[in-house]
Amino acid sequence: MIVLCMLVLGAYAARHYHLGFSRMRLEHPQESNELVGFVVPRVTVFIPMHNEEKVARDILQALVDCDYDWELLEVIPVNDRSTDGTRAIVDEFAARYPFIKPYHRTKGAGGKPAALVEATELATGEIYLMFDADYVPGRAVLKMLTAPFVDPEIGAVMGRVVPHNIGDSLLSGLLSLERSAGYQSVQQARFNLGFTAQFGGTVGGVRAAALRAVGGWNPESLTEDTDLTFALLLNGWRTAYVNRAECYEEVPQDWGVRRRQLSRWVTGHTECLHNYWPDLLEARFLSGREKVDAIFLLAMYLTAPVIVIGWIASLLLFFIPQAHAIPVLPVAMLIIGYLLFSNQATFLEIGVATLLDGTRLRALLIPLSILNFFANTGAICNALRKFYWNRFWGSGGDGWYKTHRTRLDSKGQSFAGAQPAGAARQSVAGLYHASNEGMGD
Amino acid sequence: MAFAIFSAVFLVIFYLHFALAHRAWLTIRGKQSTELDMGYVRQEDYFGQSFRQKLKHWLATLPAATNSTAGLRVYDHGQERIFVAPSVQYPGGRVEKEVLVTEGAFACGPNCDFRKELMVKGDGQIGEGTALQAIAADGPLQLGEGVTVRRWADAAGKLTIGADTAIHSRATSRTAIEFLPGAYAQSLFAPEIVTEGRNDESIALSADRRSLVQIPHGAGETPRAGDGFDPAKLFSMGGGTYLYEGNLDVTAPLHLRAPLVVHGHFSCGKESLLEGDVKAHGNITVGAASVVKGNLVADGNLVLKPDVYFQALLRAGGEMRLSFGVRGLREKLPVAAHATRVLTLESNVVINGKVSSANRVVAVSTPMAWLQPNRARA
Repeated sequence: MIVLCMLVLGAYAARHYHLGFSRMRLEHPQESNELVGFVVPRVTVFIPMHNEEKVARDILQALVDCDYDWELLEVIPVNDRSTDGTRAIVDEFAARYPFIKPYHRTKGAGGKPAALVEATELATGEIYLMFDADYVPGRAVLKMLTAPFVDPEIGAVMGRVVPHNIGDSLLSGLLSLERSAGYQSVQQARFNLGFTAQFGGTVGGVRAAALRAVGGWNPESLTEDTDLTFALLLNGWRTAYVNRAECYEEVPQDWGVRRRQLSRWVTGHTECLHNYWPDLLEARFLSGREKVDAIFLLAMYLTAPVIVIGWIASLLLFFIPQAHAIPVLPVAMLIIGYLLFSNQATFLEIGVATLLDGTRLRALLIPLSILNFFANTGAICNALRKFYWNRFWGSGGDGWYKTHRTRLDSKGQSFAGAQPAGAARQSVAGLYHASNEGMGD
Repeated sequence: MAFAIFSAVFLVIFYLHFALAHRAWLTIRGKQSTELDMGYVRQEDYFGQSFRQKLKHWLATLPAATNSTAGLRVYDHGQERIFVAPSVQYPGGRVEKEVLVTEGAFACGPNCDFRKELMVKGDGQIGEGTALQAIAADGPLQLGEGVTVRRWADAAGKLTIGADTAIHSRATSRTAIEFLPGAYAQSLFAPEIVTEGRNDESIALSADRRSLVQIPHGAGETPRAGDGFDPAKLFSMGGGTYLYEGNLDVTAPLHLRAPLVVHGHFSCGKESLLEGDVKAHGNITVGAASVVKGNLVADGNLVLKPDVYFQALLRAGGEMRLSFGVRGLREKLPVAAHATRVLTLESNVVINGKVSSANRVVAVSTPMAWLQPNRARA
């Protein structure tokens, strides 16, 4: 049992090293940065919202300030049965800007995928971009996210998520490290190595034709983004990753919120594993290494119970008398060697990410990631237990859970990184600098 | 007692593992991330315009000029000095270590060395073999043969980049860029980029249209195999996009009517019409005198044969070559071509937009052997 656990975890560790070192060497960069501004299709931006009065104003103002021609832009805030002031904020923006076309949803199944299915029918864009309501895109993000669609093989695109509330709690600080590793190291390395990136459902987008080709959003899935990534992949479409398309988000500040968020991800992700692994193995247009990578990606949450089983098996082994007959030194060396090899693997990715990002102070937090590791392992195991229990008995799983927002404080101050909500202006669609005058004026 | 001491030592050692992390957390606590530049917008002529604006600000806010002589003003800005002069003409071999601003025309002889930025409000003429840090001109700017620009060059008027001149970053103009053989830059951006020997005569088409290959075939038609195309290897990805398994080397003229992803190399015969985007996991070669309306993306090299007319965007993971007579323009937006490795522009190439490379964009002189019998100019 221990050997099996070590083999599985060792394989994942080898993958972490491969991705970490590949990213550190900056191998095979796949850049569309030089084409930013030259690929300007008609775009629809969806913002799924459910009781988002704390954050709605920031994202709508940020999109108004974006550097994208308003003639080619359509913003659809999908107000999904909000009971707070979200509707009033959205309507206020819609009255001022004709390209903001709210969709107020009052009935139907709950959750983001179900809301997106309905809102997509109203969209007129060639490319659909998505931002969660607590995100604040920078001015250039829309053009950066549309640039990869120059490639007809690209069905979806994913940008980078950067937590802004890094100092609100130790958890949010540790999650900022986790996000750095996930995007700066893993997503970029995988994309550079020719694997499809993972669409995350926010700070990203999908080609309308590709979405139609795979039958649209899957309203049954808790992770419609992962589901879409693999539905596209099976049809020959790829997902691009744009590291430079960075966008601030608000990460959970307490462990309870984090546990529920993780539980939804684990359930949806593992559901995708069960739905897609047979098709992935038989996929005609994927190479062997792409199939292996896809299975590794979909099965990643299963490593948590494997770790726990390994711990339990080690403990049992300690108390079995026969085990003491085994020569101690080689076994100890093997285990120590394994621990050195495997336990450092994910920390390497975090280290590489902080090195590339230049956030060295935050790199010092890496030892405390052990807390995040134990909390994640527990939450994932619990979520998987519930998932397989429900699957076995055929009962319904967890429903959609909306992550709690904490941005607006009692003083009514918005997120400090958002654009100042000054007088809006038409975006500069040109590729030249806004002020053309030379010094002679 | 011993247990208490042991426990205390153990706890201290345990804490030391996390001491730096604890200190880091105390520093970060209560703060928000400010690492993103939310106002960033990509502008092709950013360097030149940014320099102009900074200079304008400095000259408006810095203290009164010192050591002024007739017609020359000197400003101190930190460790550097800014000389502001009317029209200037430098002899050859002059070395200038300060920022220089001329309010009129500027010219310099051969082999000068300007160690800081140069701002010319009139016409600029740079002598051969001169080295510049960076240069912005509000009028036309002519860089002579063998000039080296360590950073960027930006002109409001026409920018002429002389033979064997090297620009190590962007070259931009609001009017046009003439890019002569042997010159190279990292990127060029202008309403019109022209290489030597421009000739706008029309092209006579000669291919036999009966051998045309259509992908995908029209409704009610039977797909025709041959000329390098095997219909059995063509699959629909949905959404009107097609995938071709293996190399697709069409020897006849090709009419591509939908986006196509080729899991191999792609090439088409002369006088093809590519209306859909093409992505190839290998190389892309487009036959002479073809019309390209869709984007072309190659993981490998990309070659446009002579007289190809493209109206879209090109991207190559390897090298790119735009052959003699290639034209790139489209309505409303400029075109763009980007290569990860060397991008070569032959003679008589006209691009309305941008050419760039992660390595370098090079202009070469097309061997006259290209002209006959490969080209069929009227």
